[in-house]
Amino acid sequence: MADILLILVGAVLVNNFVLTQFLGLCPFMGVSGKVETAIGMSAATLFVLTLASACSYLVFHYLLMPLGLEYLRTIAFIVVIAAVVSMTEMIMHRTSPLLYRILGIFLPLITSNCAVLGVALLNINQSHNFAESVFYGFGAAAGFSLVLILFAAMREKMAGCDIPEPFQGPAIAMITAGLMSLAFMGFSGMV
Amino acid sequence: MNPSLTAIINPLLSLLGMGVGIGALLGLVARRFHVESDPVVDRINDLLPQTQCGQCGYPGCRPYAEAIASGDAINKCPPGGDATIAKLADLLNVRVLALDESYGSIEPRKVAVIREAECIGCAKCIPACPVDAILGAPKFMHTVISSECTGCDLCVEPCPVDCIDMVEVDETASLQTQAPVDEMSFQACINCALCVPECPVDIQPHVLYHACRNGDLEEADQANLMHCIECGKCDKACPSHIPLVDFYQDAKIALLRQNEEQARAMRAQRRFELHQVRVNRLDAEAEQRRRKRAELAKNRKKVSSESIQAALERVKARKNT
Repeated sequence: MADILLILVGAVLVNNFVLTQFLGLCPFMGVSGKVETAIGMSAATLFVLTLASACSYLVFHYLLMPLGLEYLRTIAFIVVIAAVVSMTEMIMHRTSPLLYRILGIFLPLITSNCAVLGVALLNINQSHNFAESVFYGFGAAAGFSLVLILFAAMREKMAGCDIPEPFQGPAIAMITAGLMSLAFMGFSGMV
Repeated sequence: MNPSLTAIINPLLSLLGMGVGIGALLGLVARRFHVESDPVVDRINDLLPQTQCGQCGYPGCRPYAEAIASGDAINKCPPGGDATIAKLADLLNVRVLALDESYGSIEPRKVAVIREAECIGCAKCIPACPVDAILGAPKFMHTVISSECTGCDLCVEPCPVDCIDMVEVDETASLQTQAPVDEMSFQACINCALCVPECPVDIQPHVLYHACRNGDLEEADQANLMHCIECGKCDKACPSHIPLVDFYQDAKIALLRQNEEQARAMRAQRRFELHQVRVNRLDAEAEQRRRKRAELAKNRKKVSSESIQAALERVKARKNT
């Protein structure tokens, strides 16, 4: 139990995927314009990352390991993640149109989110067991969501600010992200 | 077997197996969870103005919504104008474009009016109206139900005597916005909340002010804009001397207009759907009548040829005797 808590806190705050490991930066910059879309993206990522880390664990330990094909893990994980995402999308479209509408275009976007592949590979590197893998995936997604929503809220506030012209748009967003990253450095050494 | 051969065949086979397995699974799921209609089309359709004018090149708003959902440009709707384009861009997460002028230009809302003295009662405009807003019968004078007219001007062209005018609607008469507030006459809101205890209807005036100032009508509505009784107590309490009520009044007018437009669009959509049902029914009935008539004519021909034959034989018989 303490182990899992440690993994969760570590993934959310200390080794935050976006701000300390610099994974998943494109959605972090791309869909942080509005809090509403950021929440949609977060929900989709939370769902997919948890599922994908479980699936990739199973594929690695029950398909690749027995055959001695560990070196194929990157390509295998990409295939598994893409399949999980599109299957989730299809099932959700039919069974829960409301959730489908909320997640909308963000679901297919996650396929190309490198944080998903990153979690799957890190799970192998850190030799997590099944439960740990799932919670590590969940924690990574929760950290991503936290940072994304915070960032989106800040960008919404900044839209009304009087920013000097050379800094407008992506420039000030990058600076803000850098400052957030600095703040998150403060968590290092906590776990 | 040669170990180097298995080193090649094993990964090939396992990847192939994985691909086939996942592909089969995806195919199965796609078939099992097949969905007919695309919910995105409905949402796009809700944003279009429902004039059914066809200026975009599609027969009505819903076909255009379907086209947008499958990748058409969002700037082909002149009646919706920039507001609709902005909303579509927001929904679809694409960039806002300027209206494509080749599909028409933005004009103030118009309705059709028939100069009734000149109408000859030909009834040609009635089937042209996509929302059935023209009343009349053959050889009787027609008129337009102006509250239901979407201003699509599809009825102008079929009229043989050119007695239909497109008249601008004077919307400013009922809801007059006041002169814009002088931005230099007050200072910025610092969220001091001195206005909050003053409000007799428990609105948070500073929250509402920010929503109105940003032009975010949805948020203003959620902040109970319509509950404001415009008593002006918040104005007096404000240390920055912001004319709050002026902002609220403008926002109220904008909100009322928006609601009115939405209601009108919904009505037009409903009428267009009913029109479509009616047209389909009339077509089916006409087709049935035509078929019946053709059958009747065929029978009659057969009968007449039989009777001629019979008459000829009678004449022949008489000649022989």
